[in-house]
Amino acid sequence: MRNRDVWLVVPCFNEGTVIEDVLSSARETFPNIVAVDDGSADESAAAIHSAGAHLVRHPVNLGQGAAIQTGVEYARVQPGARYFVTFDADGQHQVKDVLAMVERLRAEPVDIVVGTRFGRPRREGDQVPLIKRVVLKTVVMLSPRTRRLGLTDAHNGLRVFNRRVADDLNLRMNGMSHASEFVELMDSRGWRVAEQPVDILYTEYSMSKGQSLLNGINILSDGLVGKRLPR
Amino acid sequence: MIKALLLLAGAALVAFFLANRRKARAKAGVKIGFVLFVVFMVYAVMRPDDLTVVANALGVQRGTDLVLYALVMGFAFVTVSTYVRFREQEMRYARLARSIALQNAVRPEDQPDATAVTPAADDDDRLRR
Repeated sequence: MRNRDVWLVVPCFNEGTVIEDVLSSARETFPNIVAVDDGSADESAAAIHSAGAHLVRHPVNLGQGAAIQTGVEYARVQPGARYFVTFDADGQHQVKDVLAMVERLRAEPVDIVVGTRFGRPRREGDQVPLIKRVVLKTVVMLSPRTRRLGLTDAHNGLRVFNRRVADDLNLRMNGMSHASEFVELMDSRGWRVAEQPVDILYTEYSMSKGQSLLNGINILSDGLVGKRLPR
Repeated sequence: MIKALLLLAGAALVAFFLANRRKARAKAGVKIGFVLFVVFMVYAVMRPDDLTVVANALGVQRGTDLVLYALVMGFAFVTVSTYVRFREQEMRYARLARSIALQNAVRPEDQPDATAVTPAADDDDRLRR
């Protein structure tokens, strides 16, 4: 089967109601999935297991960044793993986007392909809420690093990368700041980056799970302190 | 003017101790600083008028104002260093939890025992049982 060398890493915290469907439908295309149950208090773990994914459970809730790191560490030691995908548990990412990104990684000389919500001219069907659009664009404008890398979307959760990135990955921001940390790593480690326009599905469910914009303050302070933490 | 200098000196001190936090010298410095601080405060309580003389020499109106400045600086230092310390602690904790998680991974073909897939109990739940 094609895509045996691809591993989906799905961090999951209290997503019991949707995770089984998300994983089952992703598994039709990508047989290898590791879902990291980040100390959920609902039936997420059982749902993950019955969807046929590999289950790794944090004994306590640590945050999304920590869950992604755990998932990548699990996936990178699996035999035959060559490509790695960070994928959300709430169904806002689409398998067809991942497929296109993996194909690009196979064909082009890049290490990591990042999804962007702003990759093409604005259309009728776009669902990114106005306030999110403004804030995300402002973040991009304010970040010299993001601009240097040519990224147009500051915090997209959909990323596909190769072994070089996976072996090198060491996220220390446990919470939502891992997205900025990821960008910082792309820049400092010299990974070759490409962007791919993707569609994010903003369902009622994923909106309710979404981040508050105020969390940007936490992300900023994490960025300042992060430099002081040992690698 | 002198107030700006006081603030700057305090900030520089905080930055220095944070940057060299791991070195034995700085750690000893923090302890010495703490003892000096306590001695200074005790003295200030006993002889408030002396404090006012010092404050006037530094260009600050009242002794109590000087104490207030010192307290604010001390508080800022404690806050920042506690924050950084917690972050480090959090990271170690995350690594520990991660290695436990990786050891107990459940593959799709495994038959997990019931405890492996039941929800993680909240501390509150555990207390209630």
